[in-house]
Amino acid sequence: MRPTLVVANGPALFVIGTDTPRPLGPFLLEADPREAAARFETLDRSDLPTRLLAFLESVPADVRLVAAPPRLARAVGECVGRPVAAPTLEELRRARGTVSAPDPTTERRFFLALGHLRLERALRAPEEVLITLAREEERVERSVGRESRAAESFVHVPDSPLDRHLAAWGLARGALADLSEALRRTLENEAKSQVPNLSAVVGPRVAARLVAAAGGIGALARMPAPRIQLLGSRRRPSPERGPRFGIIYRADRLADVPIGRRGAYARSLAALAAIAIRADAHTHRNISADLVARRDRRIESLRRRRR
Amino acid sequence: MRPGRSFRPAAGSSRLLEVDRAERRELWTEAVGDPPPVYGERWTEVSDRRFRLFEPTRSKLAAALVKGWTGDVPSPGERWLYLGAATGTTASHVADLVGPEGTVYAVERSLRPFGRLLALGERWPNLRPILADARDPLAYVALVPPVDGMYVDIAQADQLDIVHRNAELLLRGAGARLLIALKTASMGRHRSAAGHRDSSEAALANEVALYPSVPLEPFHRGHFMVGGRWGRESRIPVRETARPTMPRGRRPGRRAR
Repeated sequence: MRPTLVVANGPALFVIGTDTPRPLGPFLLEADPREAAARFETLDRSDLPTRLLAFLESVPADVRLVAAPPRLARAVGECVGRPVAAPTLEELRRARGTVSAPDPTTERRFFLALGHLRLERALRAPEEVLITLAREEERVERSVGRESRAAESFVHVPDSPLDRHLAAWGLARGALADLSEALRRTLENEAKSQVPNLSAVVGPRVAARLVAAAGGIGALARMPAPRIQLLGSRRRPSPERGPRFGIIYRADRLADVPIGRRGAYARSLAALAAIAIRADAHTHRNISADLVARRDRRIESLRRRRR
Repeated sequence: MRPGRSFRPAAGSSRLLEVDRAERRELWTEAVGDPPPVYGERWTEVSDRRFRLFEPTRSKLAAALVKGWTGDVPSPGERWLYLGAATGTTASHVADLVGPEGTVYAVERSLRPFGRLLALGERWPNLRPILADARDPLAYVALVPPVDGMYVDIAQADQLDIVHRNAELLLRGAGARLLIALKTASMGRHRSAAGHRDSSEAALANEVALYPSVPLEPFHRGHFMVGGRWGRESRIPVRETARPTMPRGRRPGRRAR
């Protein structure tokens, strides 16, 4: 008995390998591209077109049912109430060869809708929110710094035609500073709730920047301490003198360490940060009091052994 | 067309022009979309067709062509799968090469570059961005019809494994084209760059009739363009126009005058 193969081709589903030589279909998930994209993303039994379901009900029980991709196989299996296998590679290749290409306009709108949907969903994850916030906050902080430095060195000449623009510039600077402040507060709250241990050790802002530079909490937790120490550094390692700091240079309390001992401190801090982020990523235990105590002890000993 | 520049069709594609400049050959692809530039590249108009400068320093495909790549390039009307499209710099040129009748399915995994790729998809009518991991082609097998060729630019240690998985599932069959921008630096330090190229070619040779590979120095350090036609018995047509592409010492333009 020939298998009956259900394959998805963008927003359309096809049935192949029945007694008819040509594939049956297309069974559209939905005419509207955005709706179709949403259905394609979930693809469970309620998303399958009723015409397709009606056809599948009529398939005799001794015909083997296969479907691809795996999500579709699961959905079809739930609908018809019997196991639906994945096709072999050869079956799938042959089936895909017989299915007609989708209409370019529909296909394009479907792809764009699906892309937007996936991107929005992915960016809504708390971790990605933290990364986005960290990047934006850093950018706005830089521009606040740049504008205020420019304002400091600007010589104001009274009654010049520039006056009106200067007032506007002052307002814009104020708004930018407010934005920076608001972003910083949101970022710190996010960091404290998502990576509490790391935030306690290096400070919430640096914690968020480390996560952003690593590309995620899990990615940062997989890094060895020396890598965390140098994350975000721009200097190239050389045999004579490599970089000692990256993002970690802005960590809380690094300024309390004598300048000559900061490299040593960055090394120990990175080791503590590595322990902290692993707790944040995996055990979710709060070990921040212990880590902060170890950090402060280290600072004290470095201050005593001043060079 | 400005005087002093003579555009002529380049070997391999009707949507690709070349022009000799003082130090090297310049490549231009016929734009599928409208200005403004996608990534700040130069545009020009040649007999009512709009072309975009295809710079070897920006794109590994352009670098390969400048370095005398004799293998196939995407040609008009074809469907190509592009793995590792990032923000779509090279992907936009591949889309240019397949033209309005062709389609490029561009797979990218990282979110923020994908945002820009998606914006490009809104402007470039034949580009289809897909947010997915190229390691798992089953996740997008339902989105990509069988393709005529695959362009791979993923800097991963297991890039050949990824190529294999995608190729056997998504290429249309024997004779389909495979272009791989091999980044040897992400394949480990246990071999030299050329060693990585040789071992990769040996691994590919089981399934692919290989084109001669080219190193992408000095444009992209430690990179090679390798590729071929799927199916071990596929025939690689020998193209006689493998011209020396970086003329040394003399200027071809001046001699022509």
